[in-house]
Amino acid sequence: MFGLIEPFTDVNHSFFGMLNQGPLTLTIFLHTIIILPMFWIYFSEKKRLNK
Amino acid sequence: MLTSIKTNEFAGNKGKELGMMYFRVAVILFGAQLLMGLIAAIQFLAPGFLFELFDFSVARMVHINALVVWMLYAMIGSVYFMLSDETGHEGVAIGLGKLAFWVLTLAVTVVVLVYIFIQVGPGKESTIWLINEGREYIEAPRWADIGIVVVVLIFYWNVFATYMKGQKTGIMTVMIADLLALAGLYLAGMFFTDNISMDQFWWWWVIHLWVEATWEVFVGTLAAYALIKIIGAKREIVEMWLWIEVLMLFGSGILGLGHHYFWIGTPEYWWEIGALFSALEPVPLVAMFVHVLYDWGKEQGIAKAEGKSGSVMNNGPAMAWIVTNAFGNFLGAGIWGFFHTLPQVNIYTHGSQFTAAHGHLAFFGAYATILIGMFYMGVQYAYGVKVLRSTFKSKMGIFLVTFGVVGMTVALTIAGYEQVLVERAELGGGWSAFFAAQELPWFVQAMVWRAIMGVVTFVGFVYLVWDLLTIGKQAKAAQEA
Amino acid sequence: MANKNVSVWTSIPFWRRSAAWVTGFATILLIWLTFDTLGQITMGTDADLKNGVDKRVPAATVINYKIDYKMSTKRGHEVPVIGGKQLFFGKEWSAKEAADLLHLGKLTSQAKNCMNCHTLLGNGAYYAPDLTKAWLDPAWQNGGPLQGMTGKNTVEEAMAEFLQHPSQYPTHARMMPNLGITADEAKGLVAFLKHMSSIDTNGFPRNFSKTVDQFKSGGTNAH
Ligand code: HEC
Ligand code: HEM
Ligand code: HEM
Ligand SMILES: [Fe+2]
Repeated sequence: MFGLIEPFTDVNHSFFGMLNQGPLTLTIFLHTIIILPMFWIYFSEKKRLNK
Repeated sequence: MLTSIKTNEFAGNKGKELGMMYFRVAVILFGAQLLMGLIAAIQFLAPGFLFELFDFSVARMVHINALVVWMLYAMIGSVYFMLSDETGHEGVAIGLGKLAFWVLTLAVTVVVLVYIFIQVGPGKESTIWLINEGREYIEAPRWADIGIVVVVLIFYWNVFATYMKGQKTGIMTVMIADLLALAGLYLAGMFFTDNISMDQFWWWWVIHLWVEATWEVFVGTLAAYALIKIIGAKREIVEMWLWIEVLMLFGSGILGLGHHYFWIGTPEYWWEIGALFSALEPVPLVAMFVHVLYDWGKEQGIAKAEGKSGSVMNNGPAMAWIVTNAFGNFLGAGIWGFFHTLPQVNIYTHGSQFTAAHGHLAFFGAYATILIGMFYMGVQYAYGVKVLRSTFKSKMGIFLVTFGVVGMTVALTIAGYEQVLVERAELGGGWSAFFAAQELPWFVQAMVWRAIMGVVTFVGFVYLVWDLLTIGKQAKAAQEA
Repeated sequence: MANKNVSVWTSIPFWRRSAAWVTGFATILLIWLTFDTLGQITMGTDADLKNGVDKRVPAATVINYKIDYKMSTKRGHEVPVIGGKQLFFGKEWSAKEAADLLHLGKLTSQAKNCMNCHTLLGNGAYYAPDLTKAWLDPAWQNGGPLQGMTGKNTVEEAMAEFLQHPSQYPTHARMMPNLGITADEAKGLVAFLKHMSSIDTNGFPRNFSKTVDQFKSGGTNAH
């Protein structure tokens, strides 16, 4: 759709290359796994501060 | 700055004294850098100038090596300078630190003399070991690499052991971790490979992860320290900002490395990683900008509310350079960096004068400025001056240097646009396209302006050095009168 | 919940822990990506070339083949195309000989500091043309001005001649200086340049073949 999903074209196959086929899927994936655990850090810090 | 050696007015603080030794060499190398830049800039206009005597490649190599080395000197000097304020100790082995300083300075002198007089060698391993390694920015021959590693180990041990002995502030904790990463990265540039893609892959680990990760965090740390010293900013607030900056700088800068892996033989997935992570790199630079100006305004406001008149700054020229740093970092690295960081743009701008425009404004704005600010803090301390005010020379120095570098950047940006549109987009690259673009009047005019603005920069530098040499003594005399 | 007003956003430990996490994890991701990339940019083998296995960075013996740079509709940009056999300095090089020659060339490129005037893969200095695809430049081909001026009739011999005496073959006021390059070193450098032109650079320099086509149809950009 709209050319956002592309067939695999790179020279070699790899995990990151596969993720790279969709609409910014690779970078969204990487950003998400970096940011998500910060929620946990936030809530655990909140708990600690409330004590 | 010079007479402080003779009069030895350091109130016995050996760490700060060692810091000043590093600062002095840094200023000299900065001057050498500018002279070499001028030679290279003239060669763009008059290619016969020093042809086959002192070629462009030699001038340029010394230009950018002097740049990297003076900045590393000023950085080491700054750490020694702040050590006692942050840890409460002077440094566990300053004597050894001094020995390391002399060894390093001797090595740098030999390396530069070899660059200038021997220049190139035969295509043998011995050239890489003894003359130069031929890899932009890290050309230093292998023997010097090993020497640098030894000296840096002594420096690091000195700082680390002092840190362990003394109090552990947030600023110093970040500094200790950052220095380890900074020093460790140098090792990624110390090997030879026949594979040019592999070569450049690791080369960028050193260059990018220095300037866009570890050096930036270093600057954040230094700015935090300086704001406390100069305008009396609150440590808790400054340190909170510092952690936020570390988070954002490393969070974007480490994977932002991908913006150099678009075209060097590396896989296509780096397009997405490099584009989106490096696009976030300007965010912490905005934060740092806001932080410096906000804290300044806030402290000034508090002082006013308390009925104190005048400025909260105890060091006018240092603060002026730090504010210039806040602007310059944001403009040079943030804006000029973002201009060409998306692969859709970079495929045309890659390796053009546009890159040089960004390189100049970023190195100057992000690093030269704040390190010059540290020189002024050194002078203030060396002469025991309570409040250091800007002189006419300080103002001429900062104005002309900044105006000159911004002027060069504008000229290079125009040259870059022309090159991108004509050589790359219209003609599609290659030997004839390159020269077609280089010979168009717009390009040539831009090169003339770059050279003129380079001279302006140099005149500003002369004022700067003159000021550094005299401001302390004058301020002290005024204070005693 | 004793105190609802405490804000995590102004807590130094929160930012410190977050900074440590983000830095540490970004580093781990970078190391993971590095392993993946290193695998893909390791030089291929002679066997890969013989079997037509695509490598981002082919073996040194790629100097025995004809190299072209063509638009790939699949990739959406130009890619190097390795064609049939082609003699290099009049002979076919064994895997060992080719590797040694490339080694000499890469070493010489560093010893003579090419990167402080030219760009290689787009990185370096901006005083002289990018060398990424110099081997394929129409100016070096049969009938091109650079080959013509050296009086040689193969690309490799013309380039080697130029590299040994660049200032004897001026084309513009801005000249390449004599760097004391020997005949052997020049051969090595040409092998290095030919090898570099076979690296898959994801389409950089873009439109390079446009100049080639223009040249082949009789046009040229030179003034
Ligand atoms: C002092 C700067 C300088 C250095 C160092 C230098 N070159 Fe050059 N080179 C030039 C200039 C300027 C030209 C353009 C001259 C011309 O076309 O007449 C050029 C042209 C070339 C060309 C032909 C143009 C093209 O695009 O194909 C090749 C090939 C080349 N250089 C290779 C090298 C190699 C290999 C090295 C390192 C061993 C090297 N150069 C070092 C300045 C330099
Ligand atoms: C203080 C920080 C920075 C400094 C000192 C700096 C310096 C430099 C220098 C010197 C180069 C040229 C390297 C070479 O010789 O090949 C370069 C390239 C580059 N920089 Fe920066 N930079 C900084 C920050 C940034 C930021 C924040 C971005 C992006 C948002 C960025 C994007 C780029 C890109 C894309 C290139 C590659 C240019 C090309 O393809 O030719 N830089 N940088
Ligand atoms: C007297 C003023 C200066 C002049 C005339 C000058 C000139 C030059 C020239 C001619 C080049 C080579 C560009 C090319 O390859 O085409 C260069 C490169 C460079 N200069 Fe300067 N320069 C000056 C000051 C500075 C300053 C103050 C800095 C930084 C603080 C700086 C940092 C750099 C960097 C990082 C490069 C490499 C750029 C890249 O590869 O993209 N220069 N300079
Ligand atoms: Fe970068």
